[in-house]
Amino acid sequence: MAADRQAGSTTAELEAIGERLRAGDGLASGDAAVLAATPDLVALGALADERRRAVRGDRVTFVRVLEVEAAAAGAGPDGVPPRAGEVRIVGRPANIAAAVAAARRLREAAGRTPVTGFALDDLVDVCGADASAVREALAGLREAGLERVAEARVDGVADPAWIELAAAEGLPVTRLTVASADADALETAGTVAAWGAAAASVRVFAPLPTNAGPRPSTGYDDLRRVALARLVVDNIDSIQVDWRLYGPKLAQVALTFGADDVDAVSPIDTLEHGWRRAPLEEIARNVSAAARVPIERNGRFETGTARP
Amino acid sequence: MGCGLDEIATRLRGGERLRAGEALDLYRAAPTLELGRLADAARAAKHPERIVTYIIDRNVNYTNVCVARCNFCAFYRPVGAGDGYVLGFDEIFAKIDETLEVGGVQLLLQGGHNPDLPLGWYEDLFRAVKERYPTFRLHALSPPEVIHLSRLSQLPVPAVVERLVAAGLDSIPGGGAEILVDRVRRLLNCHGKATAEEWLDVMRTAHRAGLRTTATMMYGTVERPEERIEHLLRLRDLQDETGGFTAFIAWSYQPPNTELGGIEATGVEYLRTLALARLVLDNFDNLQASWVTQGGRVGQLSLAFGANDMGSVMIEENVVRAAGAAYCMDEVEIVRNIENAGFVPKRRNMHYELLGDPIFRERAVPRMLELAVARAGEVGAPPPEVARYPARSRAEKARRAAR
Repeated sequence: MAADRQAGSTTAELEAIGERLRAGDGLASGDAAVLAATPDLVALGALADERRRAVRGDRVTFVRVLEVEAAAAGAGPDGVPPRAGEVRIVGRPANIAAAVAAARRLREAAGRTPVTGFALDDLVDVCGADASAVREALAGLREAGLERVAEARVDGVADPAWIELAAAEGLPVTRLTVASADADALETAGTVAAWGAAAASVRVFAPLPTNAGPRPSTGYDDLRRVALARLVVDNIDSIQVDWRLYGPKLAQVALTFGADDVDAVSPIDTLEHGWRRAPLEEIARNVSAAARVPIERNGRFETGTARP
Repeated sequence: MGCGLDEIATRLRGGERLRAGEALDLYRAAPTLELGRLADAARAAKHPERIVTYIIDRNVNYTNVCVARCNFCAFYRPVGAGDGYVLGFDEIFAKIDETLEVGGVQLLLQGGHNPDLPLGWYEDLFRAVKERYPTFRLHALSPPEVIHLSRLSQLPVPAVVERLVAAGLDSIPGGGAEILVDRVRRLLNCHGKATAEEWLDVMRTAHRAGLRTTATMMYGTVERPEERIEHLLRLRDLQDETGGFTAFIAWSYQPPNTELGGIEATGVEYLRTLALARLVLDNFDNLQASWVTQGGRVGQLSLAFGANDMGSVMIEENVVRAAGAAYCMDEVEIVRNIENAGFVPKRRNMHYELLGDPIFRERAVPRMLELAVARAGEVGAPPPEVARYPARSRAEKARRAAR
């Protein structure tokens, strides 16, 4: 009984926060802690969903991504699946020369498909955190055909000035991600929000960890992270979930808890299971079943028309 | 929510019963999280102590040989198939020993409609189990299996139930319900194994005989939303009549490797269906989460959408695995998920009597990273005791004649 009373009182606090958000006041001091502590996951999700609707409407964007390991990119694919909306170089490059070579190789193979790649914190680290070396590296990558830096890890970037530097050098960061499964959800979202305008060039925040911990995360943990990201982060419009990493079921439910962008849909469609289970049909069906409008985008965030 | 939905929600909060049209309106139009809120409130009203239960048992399928040929089933093998199997009594005893080792209290025993296993085989098995393990429970034989035995033995269902109970049957699982609408059952080729009314009649008979049973729904095949609701209403009506159901379990159809094929219903559809079930089935105390079909994450989220039970540790699973799903949660994982969701985990038996705190906190139990299967390796010949019973199928008669 005590626990349900506690849940009830927290729900009342959530309703008060909801009123403030609806009035356009933003979160007050202490609100984020209340949100993070509530046992009422559905009420938290409802607040996040309301916020998502206000910011993004019922649109859910998704992107089909061909990932190529940095180490293998030098001898990477000769062709890129025509359905790919983004070619992404993943993994830490051995050095900047290798990174530039990988970008150049994939630029040639990708045709008109945008090529993105690398984590900004890896590039900074490879450059010994030397600003002029980072500038030079970014310029080289841009010249080689890279269009955006694929990600910056919130728990890896020591200073948001690096994000501003990348944008200034013409290679803005696409996504803020979280690497460690141990990263505190509220702290991470708070960090992103505190970066303010420094993160303005970033298009999406993906709050679910990209590295698995010793135990799998729970559904409650994952959705709490998504909802908190939507409610606390006010400087980035899109909250993203990874289709491949978290699976269709969790990713779809996350769309009702504040997420509005889906990453890493497969561009490869062998049709071995029939067209209804092809990646494009599956993502569109899942988005529609969550009562959202699926819209495909590419790595430049150019969108197509809404799918029925 | 829309105006009409608000009125329905208000009526629900006032304790009024959901009508068919209202249930359909909610399912079709209510935002997912609003459905969740209503279902969670209904769950909290029935279980304000925030206990979430689970059972340690083993899901054993004694045979995969089946004459029913349901087109949504990836598990069955036709009579005479090379990979058809029947478990021997000793194999089943070994599974019970393993179940006891991890604190288990019962077998969930179900299987195909094998024409070469007469009623006597089941009676002998149940008696042998009870002789060796007197307090171990047998939650066995879904209604279509009981009907199959009734047809094989030329005995009416009440007589079959009576004999099974005399042999040691403790309760009946709610499998084989699929969707309790005959239009759907014909399309799924399961109308022959049991019509909707026949399924309900077996449960009515069992309840009258003093047995408790569960009820299930497999959704996401060919049914319409209103047929899902009709299914729920038929269960609610029988529960009003007998009060014999302990729990309701919904799971999504798993298409891989089935004749019917198609695509699986989504995670959101599962949570909406579960929430709706909590609201319609106002006379069912317990709703289980189906982590075996939805995975651990959505399985845990079920607790926010009306479920108050994490089902079974299961130990072994064959039917859903045959259709491609291979999720595994041992007791440690189930307890972690319950506590992570803010609930208090308690072990239970099939009657939902609380048995205590998690076993693994009291003593070391082996961790399970993967569910076991009915029989690893070669399928092999039927166990020797099958020969004690007359063969009915042409294939089995030929096999015996050839020896």
